[in-house]
Amino acid sequence: MSISTEGVAEVVEERADVDRTDESSGPEVGKARRRKEDQRLITGRTRWTDNLQLPGMLHVATVRSPYAHATITGMDTTAATSSPGVVAVLTGQDVKDSQGSLPCAWPITEDQKAPPHPAIAVDRVAFSGEVVAVVVARTAAAARDGAELVDVDYDELPAALDLRESAADTTLAHPDLGTNRSAHWVFDSAEAGTGEDVEAAIAQAREDGVLIEREYRQQRLIPSFMEPRSVVVDPTGEQFTMWSATQVPHILRLMLALTLDVPESKVRVIAPDVGGGFGGKLQVTPEEVITFLAARHTGKPCKWTETRSESLLSAHHGRDQWQKLTLAATKDGTVTGLKVELLADMGAYLGLVTPGVPILGAFMFNAIYKFPAYRFECTNVFTNKTWTDAYRGAGRPEATFAIERLMDELAAELGRDPLEVREQNWIRHEEFPFTSVCGLEYDSGNYEAATARAKELFGYDELRAEQARRRESNDRVQLGLGVSTFTEMCGLAPSRVLGSLSYGAGGWEHASVRMLPSGKVEVITGSSAHGQGHETAWSQIVADQLGVPFEDVEVLHGDTQISHKGLDTYGSRSLVVGGQAVVKAAQKVIEKARPLAAHVLEANMDDLEFSSGTFTVKGAGEGQEGVSITELALKTFAAHDLPDGMEPSLDADATFDPVNFSFPHGTHLCAMEVDTETGESRMRSYVAVDDIGNVVNPLIVEGQVHGGLVQGIAQALWEEAVYDEQGTLVSGSFVDYTLPTTADTISFVTDRTVSPSTSNDLGAKGVGEAGCIASTPAVVNAIVDALRPLGIHDVTMPCTPERVWRTIQDSGSGGGATLPDAQPHFDEGAPNQDQPADAGQEGGQA
Amino acid sequence: MQLEHSFVVPADPDTTWALLTDLKTVGGCFPGATVTEADAETFAGNVKVKLGPIAVTYEGTGRFVERDDEAHRAVIDGTGKGLRGLGNAGAQVTMQLVPDGPGTRVDVLTELNITGKPAQFGRGVMQSVSDKLLGQFVGCVENKLAAGDGTP
Amino acid sequence: MIPAQFDYVAPATVEEALALLAEHGDEAKVMAGGQSLLPVLRMRLNAPGVVVDISRIEELRSITDDGDAIRIGAGATYQDVLDSDLVREHLTLLHQAVAEVADPQIRHRGTVCGALAHADPAGDVGAPALALDAQMVIRGSEGERTVPGSEFFVDLFETAVGEGELLTAVVIPKHTGWGSHYEKFVRVSHQWAIVGVAVTVRVEGGTIAEAKVGLTNMGSTPLRAPAVEAALVGQPASEEAIGAICAQVGEGTDPPSDLNGQADYRRHVAGVLTRRAVLAAAGA
Repeated sequence: MSISTEGVAEVVEERADVDRTDESSGPEVGKARRRKEDQRLITGRTRWTDNLQLPGMLHVATVRSPYAHATITGMDTTAATSSPGVVAVLTGQDVKDSQGSLPCAWPITEDQKAPPHPAIAVDRVAFSGEVVAVVVARTAAAARDGAELVDVDYDELPAALDLRESAADTTLAHPDLGTNRSAHWVFDSAEAGTGEDVEAAIAQAREDGVLIEREYRQQRLIPSFMEPRSVVVDPTGEQFTMWSATQVPHILRLMLALTLDVPESKVRVIAPDVGGGFGGKLQVTPEEVITFLAARHTGKPCKWTETRSESLLSAHHGRDQWQKLTLAATKDGTVTGLKVELLADMGAYLGLVTPGVPILGAFMFNAIYKFPAYRFECTNVFTNKTWTDAYRGAGRPEATFAIERLMDELAAELGRDPLEVREQNWIRHEEFPFTSVCGLEYDSGNYEAATARAKELFGYDELRAEQARRRESNDRVQLGLGVSTFTEMCGLAPSRVLGSLSYGAGGWEHASVRMLPSGKVEVITGSSAHGQGHETAWSQIVADQLGVPFEDVEVLHGDTQISHKGLDTYGSRSLVVGGQAVVKAAQKVIEKARPLAAHVLEANMDDLEFSSGTFTVKGAGEGQEGVSITELALKTFAAHDLPDGMEPSLDADATFDPVNFSFPHGTHLCAMEVDTETGESRMRSYVAVDDIGNVVNPLIVEGQVHGGLVQGIAQALWEEAVYDEQGTLVSGSFVDYTLPTTADTISFVTDRTVSPSTSNDLGAKGVGEAGCIASTPAVVNAIVDALRPLGIHDVTMPCTPERVWRTIQDSGSGGGATLPDAQPHFDEGAPNQDQPADAGQEGGQA
Repeated sequence: MQLEHSFVVPADPDTTWALLTDLKTVGGCFPGATVTEADAETFAGNVKVKLGPIAVTYEGTGRFVERDDEAHRAVIDGTGKGLRGLGNAGAQVTMQLVPDGPGTRVDVLTELNITGKPAQFGRGVMQSVSDKLLGQFVGCVENKLAAGDGTP
Repeated sequence: MIPAQFDYVAPATVEEALALLAEHGDEAKVMAGGQSLLPVLRMRLNAPGVVVDISRIEELRSITDDGDAIRIGAGATYQDVLDSDLVREHLTLLHQAVAEVADPQIRHRGTVCGALAHADPAGDVGAPALALDAQMVIRGSEGERTVPGSEFFVDLFETAVGEGELLTAVVIPKHTGWGSHYEKFVRVSHQWAIVGVAVTVRVEGGTIAEAKVGLTNMGSTPLRAPAVEAALVGQPASEEAIGAICAQVGEGTDPPSDLNGQADYRRHVAGVLTRRAVLAAAGA
């Protein structure tokens, strides 16, 4: 195949040097600066919530249900109450009138069904790990001791555990709802007028084209952020101050006010340093409400910090879908239609955006390909498991996995190279802007350039030759090459789009820039960082905008009293939306300073230009004095000689609402060696060429890409939340929830191409989720590619050695006919890896 | 989880049945168990499971949910509540006697459900633990039957 | 996670430790590195009255040359063993296995004897200890006795160490010049062995003169594979010669089934790993 790299995108020749901090002069944006935050993060001077010690502070410990579904028939708190150091015991009965119902901000349909969501279960528990009581004591140890003494009687109820069975209402997760189906949501390109009828395309393909029908499992994952959740609530005077390890202090403040019927103005939420989230802290949690209630009840500051096993059990989980997919194509490999039918596991309750997670993927299954017809439907299903919600990528990894696996299957069906089939169908760079079959306008991109670069770095042709040799010699270790030419939608989100999807809020972001009298600058962002490096990147942006030194910019965030307005951090939105708000605010500062500059320079405002921090008169020539923005800041502070009518302030606010999403893309290539004797898969090489538009800090981008890659690879190879037939989470510690470490990964080769986004002045697209979205299908495609000569078309994730081995065994005895694609969709005949397994029998599908 | 055990004793089925349905004797055979009260249909007691690093105590009750003295088949339901917030354990034990030459074969099928922290312990260790404890239980019953040469 | 309250004592001598065990009986738990005990206490799956910390007993920390054998005291950490030239030279198999234990943090705390006494069949030191014909030195109020590895491991988490006794050292005959290899099969590097195979062989003139094979996590205790060992003797160190022999290693074993593999898979993998370990040990 031939790919032209001429013209549009610039191929980045130099990779970010991760060993070197760029201290050179010139624009800050684009410099690989080391992160300001890291000094305190790596020297133990970090301000975690759990580090807080307040005078008289009490500690909260939870009592959690061991049952997936049960009626609470009795609760004896006598022993707990009289345990040394215990101040109070709160049960669901105690708080049933005050705890409200935890919020869901995204009712995707008007008739969406949902049970009330109590912080403390009142008379029934719906998942193993649900809080049934809390003990408040003078020390954390006393609280834990007290919690062990709470005696709860349960009457066990049948539990809905299997997603597909639950979708059929075999067992009800919430008997009062009468069904497990929470909502059914459809997008159809024919109905929307954005494309053709998919059924016609499928019928046509069945007649004289190619149909690829597959079912894929998105296993349940646990976000596993590094810092466990922690909450402190101080009921000082009339105000409640909450510190929480949250991604969303602003949303949390509003939701607490609504849930607990407290004036929003009486609630202050602080997210101090937060150690990761991956979507897992995009939530309003039972424990935040509980700690609030405990503080209100006792009148004392209260702290709750979870243990790791508590976190794995009860912090929301991610993914968990069954995907039924039908791709129609002509015999020459041109795609003609795509039909997606999803079952999405909500778990026991709806969290903040639980129902919307699959919907975030709805517009991405078509990805970079020119499908003329598309239909997506999703059924959201309750089960008696920990509730799910956003997890890095939220909806988009699921979509990307499905389409990238399907494109490989189409290529295999046609006996063609997977990159070639993709190129035949993708949007060519000269076709941008391009309106997708979902009606989204892809503003920029160059898939040819990214792919060409990736192939070159990967040594694609050489690896294909080695693969052929290994196949020929029947090598025990087979080589597979995996492709993922992904895109995603970032920069959540244009508020109008969110409104059309029934989301409960907008997608704007807020920023303030404050000029201090000494010339230092404070930037306030509503985008609350939890490891992304906002403090560094925002400083770089403002340093350039105002022409001040990087070191002179201080970024404040994560406190609703300082950053009074914001919509927080998720969905790769911070730079694209929040960064643009910072740009706008800085530009306003310059415009506010302009009259004063004109006054000082005794010139006409229109004759001034602002460059490198200084106003000068246009065309005044060399040696002409200007006036700097920092000088103007001091003059404004003094206010002795301001132009008539000018307010003595250069500070400015800006709120930015994007008109479009941004669309990062990239080409990821992965080589896996599969040991056919043991089923073990080892990564040989991985190349990621991402186009994330313009880059503010290449070092931060490298970090995001590498971390994201590992997290996506982990879904392909390692991680899975497994429940036993009782509904107990058996992968409840890191012994069984096999999170990878650096020892399990290889050194990735990363590079970038650049086609700037048009949705913001920075030209940035967002990078927080890209690696995680792209890498999962690249790895699975590689494993399947290695095994394809054995008649294997799929391996269920995670591709554990045992699973791969059993797939090989089955292919040998069954001639490759036992795989999911040979089975009718969603029939009982299909192999169901989702069956709750006996703890002792899990691990394969024997 | 399901655990199956089978053993043969030299006693005839009637003698064996008499011993196996004596809840006090049988209950006492469980490693670490103390039967505090027992009548013909029910028993109560506690089990201290001690194995390597683990030492946990369950308090519980049990009863016959099915007992066929003719067919020599019984189903005993036991539920235990773990101390110290341990979660609960439940077991349904089905015993079936089958004549085996001059002796009797005893088939014991145990459906064991452990919830809460022990189930989260990891690596399926609780399965191995349960298997071992039940093995000891069955061994003890077997010994009592064998030692008494069929006489309870 | 916070353990239930317990008393902590750190005796300075073995005698003091034994006296404490005698005094507290059932209520006492011995702690060396604490890497297995503390997670259990934190999960509150045990609540001993007293924890007797033997890590401060100076006489137990040493690794010494006993002539024909190496003595590893109960206080010696995995890292001490890794750092020991004696172990590296004379007990290469053990050295290789210890290098595979968990992660550096755990290796700096956990002890070899602690792991042996804990008797988790998935632990990495049981199989090489068995394969190397280790002798366990047990002290009690009655005095000291030595138990061979084959009698030491009784069952899951159960050893020959009785109530009130202490495993004070493991004494392992030198296997100087033997080829050895520990093959550990894991999904992620820090986890317990799904299966582990410890092999040490003496090769003479291209054929295997002696072979010792230990298995990790293939039953309720670490195991030896005597039938495979016997069959290997006299074989050339080639895949053709030993492949079929090694494939039989799982026969008669009763490995666990868990999230990482069912028993049949473990038996299969054990066979493959044994072949690889024997070939690596024999330098083939």
